[in-house]
Amino acid sequence: MKRCLALAVVIAAAALLPLLLDQRGYWIRVLTFTLLFAAMAQSWNIVGGLANQTSLGHAAFFGIGAYTSTVLLLKFGISPWLGMLAGGALGGLAAFIIAIPTMRLQGHYFALATLAFGEVMRVIANVWTSLTGGPGGLSVPFVPPGFAAYSFKLLRPHAYIALAALVVVTAIFEAIRRGAMGYRLRAIRQNAAAAEVIGVDTTRVKLQAAVISGALIAMLGTLYAQVAVFFDPDTVFGIAGISIRIALIAIIGGVGTAAGPILGAFFIIPLEELMNDLLSSRAAGLSQLVFGIILVAVILWQPRGFITVLGSWRARLSRAVAP
Amino acid sequence: MSKLNSLGIADVSRRKLLSGTAAFLAAPFVISSARAEAPPVNVGVIMPLSGPNAQFGINSRNGIELVADEINAAGGIAELGGAKINLVVADATSTPTTAGTVAQRLITQQDMTAMLGAFASSLTIAISEVTERRDIPLLTMSFADQITGRGYKNIFQVVAKASVIGRAQFDYTAAIAQAAGAKIDKVAIMYEDTAYGTAQANGLRAGAKGANVELVMDDAYPLGITDTTPLINKLRGSGAQAVFPVSYLNDSLLIIRTMRQQKLTMPAIGGAAGYVIPDFEKGLGEFAENVFSIAPANYDLAPELTERFRRRFGYFMVHEALEHAVCLEVLVQAIKKAKSAKAEDVAAALRGAKFTGGWINGMTGGAVQFDQSGLNVLSVPLMVQWRGKDIVTVWPKDIARSAPVWRS
Amino acid sequence: MSFLQAILDGLLVGGVYAVISIGLTLVYGVMGIVNFAQAEFLTIGMFVAWFAWAFLGLDPVLAAPLSFAVAFAIGWVVQGQLIARVLSAPSVAQIFLTVGVLIVIENGSLLLFGSQFRSVTTSYQTISLSLGSLFISVPYLIAFSMSLACGAALWWFMRASWFGRAMRATAQNPSAARLMGIDTDLMYKMAFALGVGLTAFGGAVILPYVTVFPGVGGQFVVLMFTVVVLGGLGSVAGAVVGGLAVGVIQALSSLVFPIQLQNLVLFIVFILVLAVRPQGLIGASR
Repeated sequence: MKRCLALAVVIAAAALLPLLLDQRGYWIRVLTFTLLFAAMAQSWNIVGGLANQTSLGHAAFFGIGAYTSTVLLLKFGISPWLGMLAGGALGGLAAFIIAIPTMRLQGHYFALATLAFGEVMRVIANVWTSLTGGPGGLSVPFVPPGFAAYSFKLLRPHAYIALAALVVVTAIFEAIRRGAMGYRLRAIRQNAAAAEVIGVDTTRVKLQAAVISGALIAMLGTLYAQVAVFFDPDTVFGIAGISIRIALIAIIGGVGTAAGPILGAFFIIPLEELMNDLLSSRAAGLSQLVFGIILVAVILWQPRGFITVLGSWRARLSRAVAP
Repeated sequence: MSKLNSLGIADVSRRKLLSGTAAFLAAPFVISSARAEAPPVNVGVIMPLSGPNAQFGINSRNGIELVADEINAAGGIAELGGAKINLVVADATSTPTTAGTVAQRLITQQDMTAMLGAFASSLTIAISEVTERRDIPLLTMSFADQITGRGYKNIFQVVAKASVIGRAQFDYTAAIAQAAGAKIDKVAIMYEDTAYGTAQANGLRAGAKGANVELVMDDAYPLGITDTTPLINKLRGSGAQAVFPVSYLNDSLLIIRTMRQQKLTMPAIGGAAGYVIPDFEKGLGEFAENVFSIAPANYDLAPELTERFRRRFGYFMVHEALEHAVCLEVLVQAIKKAKSAKAEDVAAALRGAKFTGGWINGMTGGAVQFDQSGLNVLSVPLMVQWRGKDIVTVWPKDIARSAPVWRS
Repeated sequence: MSFLQAILDGLLVGGVYAVISIGLTLVYGVMGIVNFAQAEFLTIGMFVAWFAWAFLGLDPVLAAPLSFAVAFAIGWVVQGQLIARVLSAPSVAQIFLTVGVLIVIENGSLLLFGSQFRSVTTSYQTISLSLGSLFISVPYLIAFSMSLACGAALWWFMRASWFGRAMRATAQNPSAARLMGIDTDLMYKMAFALGVGLTAFGGAVILPYVTVFPGVGGQFVVLMFTVVVLGGLGSVAGAVVGGLAVGVIQALSSLVFPIQLQNLVLFIVFILVLAVRPQGLIGASR
């Protein structure tokens, strides 16, 4: 009960925030991307957290989503909302395709195989110029504003859509985690062989997690395309910019927990912006350097993520409150 | 939060930034103790200051700083009561979306008159999406065709388009060869598969097609390639009489060296970028001699101006520095014409008018004029050639500083 | 004939990929850590060699031991102060700590050395030997020979020296190693320092044909990982085989497919190999 109340308060506060920020301004853009990356990290969390498979190639599905909806819009005038569903389907399919050869791979091998797959998609997008516009990238065409066309003059609707996406993905994550699938994934995580013995179809469960995760992040690709308006293969299929970043966000916050990606995103993205704001004009590379140092320090301080800090605060609080 | 403006002066707080900066800068010139008059003109400078394009971003920033410092030292913009130019520099990073956010931040934090940026076309496009929606003029030397192809009103590109530059890379070569009595029937193109390489390659292809010259090799290669041997092997077997490589520095060095290793002596005509920076000659030494490259602009068209850059920064004024210097000069002249530092007024003044004088003498034609799409119609690409540690304009004949040396 | 040339080029280049990547697999083999910052030590090695060339007139190949030493020292400190603290943390934390170190080193280099592209000029850069109608690029040949020498030295070290055997023991079973009196913390420092030193050595060796700038390491990250995973994480022989394989695959693919697709082909082969042999070509699972 208390938890539901706390959750409701958080969501309400989050819903109010875009109203308080200047519509044309910078902070609402940062908020939108923060929410978006939180949602992306949450989709990753399904595979990276619940299934304990560190994927470093989620950009593959994200990019597929971004390109699918944008290409459909450019070539056929299809609304990005429908394009998003198409992207989700293709993203899920791609996740299925890559899951099969990587099914048996352990930890680091899996990570690098998925990274390779992300690169495969990036090169394809770069080379298949007639479809994707090649390295020059794509611009989402300007259409008159309207919800059905997913076109807005100002940023507030984008922020709300990103918030809604985050809520939805988190809800799905929690549903999986608390449900039968989560139970099976936990079993696999602890001991795959034993799980098989008790009747868990490990292949099927892992595939399901992969496809859901891939489809979700692909749909978020559409959201990104509509906010960013311009992107190229390096942006949406980027290892550093997308794949590693969302894994980092989930891990900094606390991988495998619902709050983790959210905490992580609200830490990492504003921090990057702050560093750029304060330091980038002073010396080339300084803002990134300080960011890197802070990153190292945070991981050393809390290797299991911020969630452990919250956990210990809550524990201390309840100890203080209890007689 | 304190900020450093372009002269490295710290301010007390963000709210006091404008008046504080103006007061500080005006102080030496104000005899009385009265408050400083003119608020500075804020010009955003968004360049990649980290990542693979850091070198070019820093060069660009240097060019802009040179001009800003000159103008400020001469008393600022007289038409605005001696207002000084305040450069607000920020790192675009290497991700277009981040560049857009950075642009948004600059616009939100202070009243921007205009923005300059961001060398790489993808960054510029992303920034232009922001500046167009906020009616802030963006001046750039990025030259992807898309930049001026979207009907935007607030984008101003001072050099020719990529397809034109690529086409000139071919056409000028054919003309130079012809003037030397050589005939070219077969050529090879190799290019990095980035936006820049791909766009120029399109121009090259169009040129070859237009001249009915056979393209015996037409290959893209991945950015960051560490082994160009397969490319050169292919070149060797292709029978090409001239090769057009379009690359950044590492691959340009690899290509020229590997050609040497395999004793390939056909003329190489580079596509700017890696071929026109000092590091090219430093890396190749004598093997850089007589390598051609197309360039959107070159410093030897106005040595009296560009030597100032060399004196201050220690290397010749690379074209991105020169072009950005011109951007700032044009902007200042537009401000003077509009007698206003408001973005909309300046944008209106930029459209259609012809700008001359000052640093604009460094551009072909000695003038800049933007058409409806934002393109400077007076800019013509030029062919340069390495002579010692300098690059010399050798074509078109009417602006060449030296005759081209063609060795088949 | 172009087939033979391609194989030759692929092997030469592959040998270099191997020497750069051996360090990465060593670190994984002994410590179980996938060091994303490994390629940054390549950058460090290249910078050290460049400065040795610019100020001392040393050929980069001769400066390679110097690069090794500097990287070894830095690696020793990094391991002791940073990596050691997360050895018991979840492996994802370890990975992302190294990502942080990557960012620090890359941007630290940018601040310290500036963004210029620095290259060396050596007498043999533009020379190649002719074997019939085959060209053998001298810089590649030298790099390849150095790689062989380096690989042989490492192999000897791991087999014959006490340190090498102690490291292998630590890799096999840290608790048992401790019981045998081996200071495993020291072994970890040695392994990490040795690993990054080797990569730096490789950096010096490739300087004659690669230009150094702060981001140069980043260009090799994916390649290095492909090499060690393809060969089998933790296996030094695997890194060698992986390196040669990657070089040859890239070279051969350029014969059949557009050069632009060489990495695409490489990655698809990589994924397929792993699908069939999840532990890599030679790898023994950890």
